[in-house]
Amino acid sequence: MLKSDKGTMPKSLRPGGGLEHWTERHLRYLMLAPTVLILLALTIFPSVYMFYAAVHRISPNPDLPWEFVGIGNFARLLTDAQFHVALRNTAVFTIAAVTLEFLLGLGLALLLDRFIRRLGFLKTMLMIPMMLPPIAVAITWKLIYEPQFGVLNEIMFLLGLPVQAWAGDVNLAMFSIIVADVWQWTPFIFLLMLAGLASLPVEPYEAAALDGASSWRQFWDLTLPFLKPVIAIALLLRVMDALRLFDLVFILTGGGPADRTKVLSLYIYQVAYRFADPGYAAAMSLFVLFVTIVLSTWFMKRMRLAE
Amino acid sequence: MATIRTRSRIRELLLRLSAYLAILVALILTLFPVYWIAANSFKFDIDIFAVPPEWVPRNPTLKHYDEAFVQRPFLRYALNSFLVAVGTTAISVTFGTMAGYALARFSYPWQWRKQISFWILSTRMMPPIVSIIPLYLFFNYFDMLNTKSALVIAYTAFNLPFATWMMKSYFQDLPVELEEAAIVDGDTRWGAFLHVALPLARPGLAATAIFCLIISWNEFLLSLVITLTEQSQTLPIGIAGRVTQYSTYWGEISAAGFMACVPIVIFAFIVQKHLVRGLSLGAVKG
Amino acid sequence: MVRKFCLALAVAASALAISASAWADITILVPSGSEGDGLRAAAADYAKMKNTKVETVQAPYANVFEQGANAGATKSGVFDIILMDDPWIPFFAENGHLEDLTSYFKGAGVEGPDNDFLSKSLAICRNPYNSGPYVCLPYVGNAQMFFYDAAKFKEAGVESPKTWDDVLKAAKTLTEQGGGRYFGYVFRGGQGNPVVADFMPIFWSHGADMFNADRTKVTIDTPEGAAAMKVFMALRDVSPKGVESYNANEVGTALAAGTAASSINWPNWVATFEDPSQSKMVGKISYSPIPAGTKPGSSEIGHWTMGIMAASKNKQEAFDFMMWATTAEQIKISAERGNPPVRTSVFTDAELTKQEQFRHYPVLMEAIQASTPRPRHPKWPEIENAFGIELSKAVAGTISPEEALKNSQAAVEQITGLK
Repeated sequence: MLKSDKGTMPKSLRPGGGLEHWTERHLRYLMLAPTVLILLALTIFPSVYMFYAAVHRISPNPDLPWEFVGIGNFARLLTDAQFHVALRNTAVFTIAAVTLEFLLGLGLALLLDRFIRRLGFLKTMLMIPMMLPPIAVAITWKLIYEPQFGVLNEIMFLLGLPVQAWAGDVNLAMFSIIVADVWQWTPFIFLLMLAGLASLPVEPYEAAALDGASSWRQFWDLTLPFLKPVIAIALLLRVMDALRLFDLVFILTGGGPADRTKVLSLYIYQVAYRFADPGYAAAMSLFVLFVTIVLSTWFMKRMRLAE
Repeated sequence: MATIRTRSRIRELLLRLSAYLAILVALILTLFPVYWIAANSFKFDIDIFAVPPEWVPRNPTLKHYDEAFVQRPFLRYALNSFLVAVGTTAISVTFGTMAGYALARFSYPWQWRKQISFWILSTRMMPPIVSIIPLYLFFNYFDMLNTKSALVIAYTAFNLPFATWMMKSYFQDLPVELEEAAIVDGDTRWGAFLHVALPLARPGLAATAIFCLIISWNEFLLSLVITLTEQSQTLPIGIAGRVTQYSTYWGEISAAGFMACVPIVIFAFIVQKHLVRGLSLGAVKG
Repeated sequence: MVRKFCLALAVAASALAISASAWADITILVPSGSEGDGLRAAAADYAKMKNTKVETVQAPYANVFEQGANAGATKSGVFDIILMDDPWIPFFAENGHLEDLTSYFKGAGVEGPDNDFLSKSLAICRNPYNSGPYVCLPYVGNAQMFFYDAAKFKEAGVESPKTWDDVLKAAKTLTEQGGGRYFGYVFRGGQGNPVVADFMPIFWSHGADMFNADRTKVTIDTPEGAAAMKVFMALRDVSPKGVESYNANEVGTALAAGTAASSINWPNWVATFEDPSQSKMVGKISYSPIPAGTKPGSSEIGHWTMGIMAASKNKQEAFDFMMWATTAEQIKISAERGNPPVRTSVFTDAELTKQEQFRHYPVLMEAIQASTPRPRHPKWPEIENAFGIELSKAVAGTISPEEALKNSQAAVEQITGLK
């Protein structure tokens, strides 16, 4: 907590109009109020609806009443094989994609920070993928992966490597999705890392250099600990987004081949809209929300990010 | 001695060269798909599928730009996207900055600060797919389906938490002493925020704004359900509409996709300096 | 800075205020493909003629269903008419989203649609199929056709393919000669709707069906089903690698670019094959009805039909528009705009059939009359998904064809509750 808050401030107020005085005294609430009110208004109805829907069986027929099923929808999660497949695929995707994005983003940021500090436009160029509409990105990668005409297979051919079916291959489909996602979102991590590196203090490095520490040691003992908060934020935001991957899968594979790329968002979407079972979809969403909150609370505690 | 120095110079040089090489490879990998979208947007459909591929359009054509922006209302979609993105960004950044500042500077009774901070972040974790139905009911009830205002409201719901957190971490990094000095000099608390903290936070504002802009410019799922006609439909919906049941209009999609990234890239170049500096101070400490 | 933001806020707010919508007399939900474009143009003509306001809402194909279902489930009157893909009809009709048209026909002084419509086109518009009341009217008449490169097939020793065995024989030769760059057959193997759509015609032409006649039993895992599966797997073996992610577009492109010799596809591709800016095979692609298996060939019907939403507040106006839009005169205009007709008189209109772009009409009419609808069940999307997963696994080779049939049988039994 900041000393300025209680120490210097309240008594030093100039005598003003009554309203001004009131405003000043309640500033801490007034500044927070719009955000809290907007978010309350926008989330309270969806949240209540979600909890309510999750314990009902909802017919697409508006004239039939909602049937209360208690924890029935949650019990279904245990036995639904498709849900388990989706859960596993989402986990594989999230871990692989975020790890790769992190390693590549950090590596690239370290390289640029050390060797090319000045060229700002280069950094902006490297950021372009995340500015493209995900839907256009998905469609472009579909074209690139196309087994017969796709440019990727042409490159494989020119390099003398075997051509592949990529998104159409049972074993490569998930990999193809991961590559496309890594392409689009590595820049995000790269940018945050670059920013983190730019704000590192200089003194500890000078001291370390005097002690004759290798650059590897310096990276391990100084850079990484200093970067920890920014790494934590970057990973948190990426994991939250990776857990709800939709566009890429929807366009590139539709969940196939052989269910290998069916992720949770896609399955929830299908259940909610194709199979018209919003109650079960709500139960699954609550489960995802629960996992996300548990994961991020744990993560923030570990990274001491809450404060 | 001399040889050691030469050797380390050579080592340094090799290191530098391989670093440049790595960056070059990254640049090519990053830009190639973007180039490929651009190149395809200038090709006739048949040439998009040429084997071997046409690396550079041999018969360049503006056909797809004509189809998308003249014959189809992609200009209208772009305008909608623009208004919605600007509206969302303005609201999110304004309120997010205030809330972020409050959470960074003020104390609240009963540990509220921590609780509220986390609650704000957690609103962004809600899977969007299921909030679609309640949002649909919500906007239908208020007779706001197919309006741009509805989109702004919906997008604010997930941009505001993001903006609050970015700005909160940014203000936490700014030294508090300057504001204290201003108050001692007779400024109000609000005045200290407005005249001292805010100008210092300009880079953070730029960074937050560009992320909000990117997210709301590109959003797809919510727009799909809330918007109905070109009066409010946004670019991603227009693009998705060119994947039809029978065929996919690659050329038009490439043209629209390529043009869609242009305004944001321009904006990114403009705020580029702020951006890297902004992030280097904010978002760095949680 | 704050002042600037407030300014931006004010600008944005005023721009939004202007956008508040003035709604129309009739609102129609259509997909954003050629079928939607056609109805949209017709709606504009109608609005001009009647001096009313007709609004067309275009959603991406993949999302028309959920837009309609959302509106139906929430009793929102945003749409008066919905242009539906025919497999959705049972879902919308049996969940009370669609208006029964019987009384409207009576009000117009007729029994129902006239006899000029193809009988198969009318049959799908009734729910239950071919026996219940009308819940919609047909607008775009599609059914799959078989496309092939006649010259290549001749080279491979098959003059004109009549059966799946002919196709297989020619395709095998062509793929073997193609050296990995040219293929005799290509199909939609994408999980879900695509792979099911390209399997069903083979399934039917071997005498198999998903349910028995009175719909009391699931009949996927039968000797007929196994025979169809065997042919399907043989066709997969001569298709290019990667069909596991193919949809109509990739299949059509393969033929248009001249890298595959034959496929099942929708008639909309005729126009693309004959357009030199999109095709290398102008004038070289032939088409026929679906080849026969052990039984006569049957293609999947894929009509676009117009129904009135139950929550609509302008039902009579909507019905009047639908009657107008499906008159012979309008269907002909629709055909000229690129959407296959649903009326005999338009299919056989000499003025049209003598034109190059409509020369497939006789074949298409034959294909529609020999077509089969996708199994009519309100849970069809869920059935299709489950069946699609198993077929996708079979195509990808992660399970055997026998297992795929067995699993599908079990999955569909579970979804429908039939045992």
